[in-house]
Amino acid sequence: MNSTFLLDAQGVQWGDFLFYLVTFLLLIAAIKHFAWDSIAGMMDKRAEKIADDIDSAERNRIKAAELAEQREAALKDSHIEASQIVDRAKKNGEEQKATILASANSEATALKERARKDIEQERQDALEGVKNDVAELSIEIASKVIQKELNASGHETLVDSYIEGLGKHNETR
Amino acid sequence: MNEEALVLKLFGIPFNVGNILSGLVAALVVFAFIFWLSRDVKMKPTGKQNYLEFLIDFTNGIVKSAMPDEIGRQFRLLAFTLFMFIFVSNQLGLMIEFAIGDIHYIKSPTASPLTTLTLAFIVLTMAHFVGAKKFGLWGYVKNSFLSPMPMMAPISMIEQFTNFLTVALRLFGNIFSGEVLLTTIGHFAKSKGIWTTIPAIPLEMIWQGFSLFIGTIQAYVFVTLIMVYVSEKVEVE
Repeated sequence: MNSTFLLDAQGVQWGDFLFYLVTFLLLIAAIKHFAWDSIAGMMDKRAEKIADDIDSAERNRIKAAELAEQREAALKDSHIEASQIVDRAKKNGEEQKATILASANSEATALKERARKDIEQERQDALEGVKNDVAELSIEIASKVIQKELNASGHETLVDSYIEGLGKHNETR
Repeated sequence: MNEEALVLKLFGIPFNVGNILSGLVAALVVFAFIFWLSRDVKMKPTGKQNYLEFLIDFTNGIVKSAMPDEIGRQFRLLAFTLFMFIFVSNQLGLMIEFAIGDIHYIKSPTASPLTTLTLAFIVLTMAHFVGAKKFGLWGYVKNSFLSPMPMMAPISMIEQFTNFLTVALRLFGNIFSGEVLLTTIGHFAKSKGIWTTIPAIPLEMIWQGFSLFIGTIQAYVFVTLIMVYVSEKVEVE
């Protein structure tokens, strides 16, 4: 008689079948209620979160790449702009230099012209002055020569008339 | 293993007390273990939650290898509970054997064919119902018995019973033989005093380790095969 086998002298203990049926179903229900719902839900939620994180990381990566590209382009543009600005500044400077030089040249010419005119004027004035001096000098020389002649030759009449004239002159005064 | 069984009759139904107590202990151990592991569930798993999730992932993997995810989802809890219950049942007899006189009250529940047949019966019956619910009665008959060709119907019919019997009796045979050999080694140890006790100790240890291994493998094999049979019912081939 071996009770472990399905059939023995006492027949099948089919109560065990009912017992295991109920026990196993109860075990499933209990595990579902107390453990499975929370842990499986959490595992699903985690899987979802990981998938979300991967997606958002991918999106962020693409966005970052776009931004980097934009920055690159902006940098290139700014390089071009900077060189343009430098070029313009150079051209401006060049132009300014030319105008300044031209104006300085013309001013210098004008100054030289005026100076030349002034010098001419001075020379004219000086010549005028010299002319006057020469006239005076010549008159003085002439008067001195005349005096001397008077003394030497004794032009009495001339001296007399002069003296006479002087006397008249004094009378009228 | 010529042990007597205490059979009680309740409402005219015969119950094997040893088998029922063992099954109750196994179910309580499984529930207490899972209940303890599943306290304080967090998004970022730590400690025992990691362990529980490892177990669940393992049984989910068994289900996944048998059928696609969208069909398999509903069987995950079943596979997990089945695996845990069979695993604990297999090892229970290795850890405790409680006997008064000739009657064993606590042993491996799976060392009784009634237990394994019941478990296989529950799952396979459920699979038939799920299949019928999913395809309708005619679709279920067509899918389960008339495909790939109607000529196969008798073979398919027989297969339902052979599948059920082989999967249950394989588990029973493995665990029962393990316990028989352990008992035999125990008898051998006591038979001729010290001269047989000393060589029996390493022998017993080796066989217990092997039974532990067998019990784990058989729990895995049982769940895997059951899930394959379930997939045949609920999946279009």
